[in-house]
Amino acid sequence: MLEIKDLHVTVGGNEILKGLSLSVNAGEVHAIMGPNGSGKSTLSYVLAGRAGYDITSGTITYMGEDLGALAPEERAAKGVYLAMQYPVEIPGVTTLSFLKAALNAQRRARGDKEVDAITVLRQVREKAKTLNVPEEMLKRALNVGFSGGEKKRLEILQMALFEPALAILDETDSGLDIDALQLVAEGVNALRKPDRAMLVITHYQRLLNYIVPDRVHVLANGKIIAEGGKELAHELEAKGYADIIKDAA
Amino acid sequence: MNIAVPTLETRRSEALDRFRSIGVPHRRIEEWKYTDLKAALSAEDVAHAGALPWSISALPDGVQMVDLASGKKRAEWVEKNLGMIGGEGVMNAAAFAFAQAGVALRVARNTIVGTPLNLRFTSAGHARVLIILEEGAELTLVEHHEAGEAFRNIGMEVSIGPNAQFTHVRVAEAAHNQIQIETISATLSRDARYCGHYTDLGAKISRVEANLTLAGAGADVQISGVSVLSGDTHADVTTNVDHAVGNTTSTQLFKKLIGGHARGVYQGKVSVRQHADKSNSSQTAKAILLSNRAEADLKPELEIFADDVKCDHGAAVGDLDLESLFYLRSRGLPEDEARALLMRAFVEDAVAQITDEVIRADVWKIVENALASVSEGK
Repeated sequence: MLEIKDLHVTVGGNEILKGLSLSVNAGEVHAIMGPNGSGKSTLSYVLAGRAGYDITSGTITYMGEDLGALAPEERAAKGVYLAMQYPVEIPGVTTLSFLKAALNAQRRARGDKEVDAITVLRQVREKAKTLNVPEEMLKRALNVGFSGGEKKRLEILQMALFEPALAILDETDSGLDIDALQLVAEGVNALRKPDRAMLVITHYQRLLNYIVPDRVHVLANGKIIAEGGKELAHELEAKGYADIIKDAA
Repeated sequence: MNIAVPTLETRRSEALDRFRSIGVPHRRIEEWKYTDLKAALSAEDVAHAGALPWSISALPDGVQMVDLASGKKRAEWVEKNLGMIGGEGVMNAAAFAFAQAGVALRVARNTIVGTPLNLRFTSAGHARVLIILEEGAELTLVEHHEAGEAFRNIGMEVSIGPNAQFTHVRVAEAAHNQIQIETISATLSRDARYCGHYTDLGAKISRVEANLTLAGAGADVQISGVSVLSGDTHADVTTNVDHAVGNTTSTQLFKKLIGGHARGVYQGKVSVRQHADKSNSSQTAKAILLSNRAEADLKPELEIFADDVKCDHGAAVGDLDLESLFYLRSRGLPEDEARALLMRAFVEDAVAQITDEVIRADVWKIVENALASVSEGK
């Protein structure tokens, strides 16, 4: 589904990703682990198409298409979803009306019929219940005054609503206490399915106790330096990044 | 003891003298620093602008109206009050001196007018508007400006009696070929309230000047506004809020979205006079520039002669937030839709100052239409 080959990315003139390669198949959950500054967020942003993250060489192929050539909204319509580490607050736009606008924009781009407000509300309510998102939250301005946990839950709710083929979770565990983490992880696990791939980006192994990955990749200094099964995450937790980076060198 | 008040005719001829001695205002007059009216208009143009047509919705009970067209016999309360408030501004003087048209409204004591009054201006010329709210009266006025040509000048004076409340929603459509000037002068008595909201979509030159005097303890001014400017429009909002006595409050919130090579101006002066202790005021003006050629001039100003006051002010000019734009696009919203949504979010708190739901929805419609055209880069 996703094939990244020898990817080099610069941000503000600095090369952050320095030859990253990664392959993810449908139905798989891959974890990207790495210390601060290793390029984790850059990877998530470049996959979602944020301006200022320039691919200088290498390729990102998503379902046979050159992902790098698409605008962020085109990627969303084609099923790429990034759950952000810091969801932005947008005053004056209710969460529900934002969800409807986004869902319909994606449907429009795919040539599907738009759905009406009542249908959206029904869908959102159903997903909201399992993620413990109260109805009152949907009426508030998007992310405005939401707690860290509420913001993350809303990111997962959007993932459930948009039903992406490729979901990227950027530090979804940051700022969450253990209860909130479990809730979010359950939400994510419920969305695992054979035709969906997930990329879980995290600094800590903690999240991977709840979202158990099929593969673990260690990202350091802009490159994947080690790969393995889920046991690699535990090894990292025990030894720390420094040793793994030294072993790889 | 009676203090001699000059007659209406004397007051009018004084206004004429004032206009003749100062002439059409220009940038060297501090209050007109950002708007050079003289470059666009001659004193002759002003003198011969004629009578501005207006229309008004059905009058609810408790509201008296007098047509100020010249030649008509006027009620005593009009003779007594017309031209008494807001004599300073030169264009206000011109509106008084030259207006052959206009309307006077009086809301009787303790009359709460439930239905908003709609006052509409079309075409060009001068008009005078006099509004008197007696003690405990309440009125909501929606003042709508249709686009016209040439030059339009209005002098509105408002006397808000003790414990009375005047809600004033002004909406000006985009008028690329018109010079639109309005001076709003209000005096607030004890516990009186003025809630003003000015929506401006820009004109060749647009200027709204609000001179508001808090003359009684407990008086409260709340003004807000949204400017959405495109093309080569120019919109100047100038406010003078005078805390003449203590225990008075004022808040101001103005938001401007400026595209094309339009220019948006906010000049706001809050004065707190000597001994006007326990005055509270806050002033916020923010602008977002949507193009490289757009310009914003924001100048909040405080002049405090009392000791025990709480005043704050802030101004900021910026761009649409790129992180927010990316967030929305990553959820599938096309760039133009995402931009429109962020622009809407930017002005939201200012529009939200309009408490009447129906009026607020009408204003939103007008603002949203303007956002669509400003985001197309027109």
